[in-house]
Amino acid sequence: MMRPAAGTSLCSPPLPRHGGRQGLAALVLGLVVGVGLRGDTVFETTSAYHRIRVVDGAGVRTLLFDRAEETRMSLANPLEGHFEYIEYFFMPWLWNPELNRVLMIGLGGGSAQRLYAHYCPGVAVDTVEVDAAVRQVAETYFGYKPGPRQRIFIEDGRQFLRRSQDRYGAILLDAYTQGRYGAAIPHHLVTREFFTLVRDRLTTNGVVAYNVMGSLTGWRADIVGAVHRTMQSVFPQVYLFPAGESQNVVLLGTLVADPPTLPWRSQRGREVFESGRVKLPTFYRRINAFRAEPPPNASLCPVLTDDYAPVDGLLSDTWRR
Amino acid sequence: MGNATAALLVFMGGFIVMVLEIVGARYLAGEFGGTFYVWVSQIGVVMIALAAGYYVGGALADRWQRLQRLAGLLVPAGLGVLAVPWYAPPVLEAIVMRHPSGEPVPLLWQKLDPALGSAVIFLLPCLVLAMLPPYLIRLCARRLGQIGRLSGQIIAWSTLGSIAGVFVAGYVLIEVMKLSSIFLTMGGLILVLAGLCCWLDRGWASPSIETTPDK
Repeated sequence: MMRPAAGTSLCSPPLPRHGGRQGLAALVLGLVVGVGLRGDTVFETTSAYHRIRVVDGAGVRTLLFDRAEETRMSLANPLEGHFEYIEYFFMPWLWNPELNRVLMIGLGGGSAQRLYAHYCPGVAVDTVEVDAAVRQVAETYFGYKPGPRQRIFIEDGRQFLRRSQDRYGAILLDAYTQGRYGAAIPHHLVTREFFTLVRDRLTTNGVVAYNVMGSLTGWRADIVGAVHRTMQSVFPQVYLFPAGESQNVVLLGTLVADPPTLPWRSQRGREVFESGRVKLPTFYRRINAFRAEPPPNASLCPVLTDDYAPVDGLLSDTWRR
Repeated sequence: MGNATAALLVFMGGFIVMVLEIVGARYLAGEFGGTFYVWVSQIGVVMIALAAGYYVGGALADRWQRLQRLAGLLVPAGLGVLAVPWYAPPVLEAIVMRHPSGEPVPLLWQKLDPALGSAVIFLLPCLVLAMLPPYLIRLCARRLGQIGRLSGQIIAWSTLGSIAGVFVAGYVLIEVMKLSSIFLTMGGLILVLAGLCCWLDRGWASPSIETTPDK
């Protein structure tokens, strides 16, 4: 196991932390779950990027890239069984109640696309996915249906943004590559230059939502802090939605400066939900995960740039210091 | 004097080539995205540079027979690498943005664009660096009967330099240095290499090879 002891990371606070053991446990759990996933492999292929597997077991269909779980979906009800963090991809509605165009970078098993198509039928979702094989798997095994309201582009996400002239009300990021020791963020999708590109493709009240695998104080807190700090260098406001059931933090960057108070959010959430534009049953409950304050280590983390983005070092080793 | 110095020169050359290859792939990803094709392009282009550099370097060694003249090629190569942070972004931008916006880039160009970008930046410097091994084999050769051993040693030292370059670049440099600083450092190292070639020139002037077989 390559994880170093706690408290030695590039941008961790100098005080002793207690997150290391918990993080290690999470990592071990992740590997055990990933490797030892019980069930029948219903499909397997190797693309230029991953070994892709679809496994059915205990009523749940799971998509795996190499050893990591990307998507879960209940076989009985495809609208159930997904990872919790997917539901935070609906939080942009709080800042952009007129949302009608969404761009999603990273398809996976299409959980977000499926939920948006069902619960927000008024929204057109464009998806950019780099791996053509993933599209095939999503269509065949996860019910992803491309069409005029669900367009799919097989291209690198950053390339797409750079060449696109469209504007989106929300841009959702869930792009990961897999390494032997877990998921890694593609370095060209976390830099200040990248977020500047994202900002330029948003409408005036647009929101970016970024799924970061990690936690606020323990496992991979460095990468969460660094992404937060980097987003803050581009967006006026950055908020957090830490998932309760998994090691994910969804970071939201907004262009409008609405006061992030609890009454405001509850009020706005109720309005949006009652308007019928968002029918996600858990929408109102998910608002409670909101955090306005930055991760405790954010000020110690580097702003990631195209010129300097040691994300592999932040995620794995900490020989520095 | 001779083989040990030659080993040092080709080690440095091999080292710089692989640092440029690894760091270059990272650099190109900023422009062309993190696609598989970026790595494929970068490896392919550097191999082309090596093949061409070996070929041309060997021919020039027979013709010139002076280390100093190699410096005349290393200096522009070094300056080219030094200048990457300034000239590369607009060139790569032009390659990417020549496709009409709003429609997907054809798959053929998704594959070939990174190779094009890589070739513009890395082909010539790596080609010049690849001239070092055949060139130094020619300059160090004294006896035909030992050419096999000598060329094996020179190529091995060059490859050892490359191995060091891969690991140092991937494990260390990318985490402690900015990409632009790495290019500046490698450009500087190539200029040092050129300086060494000038300085050592006298030691290797006009060698002639004994064709009499060893006892």
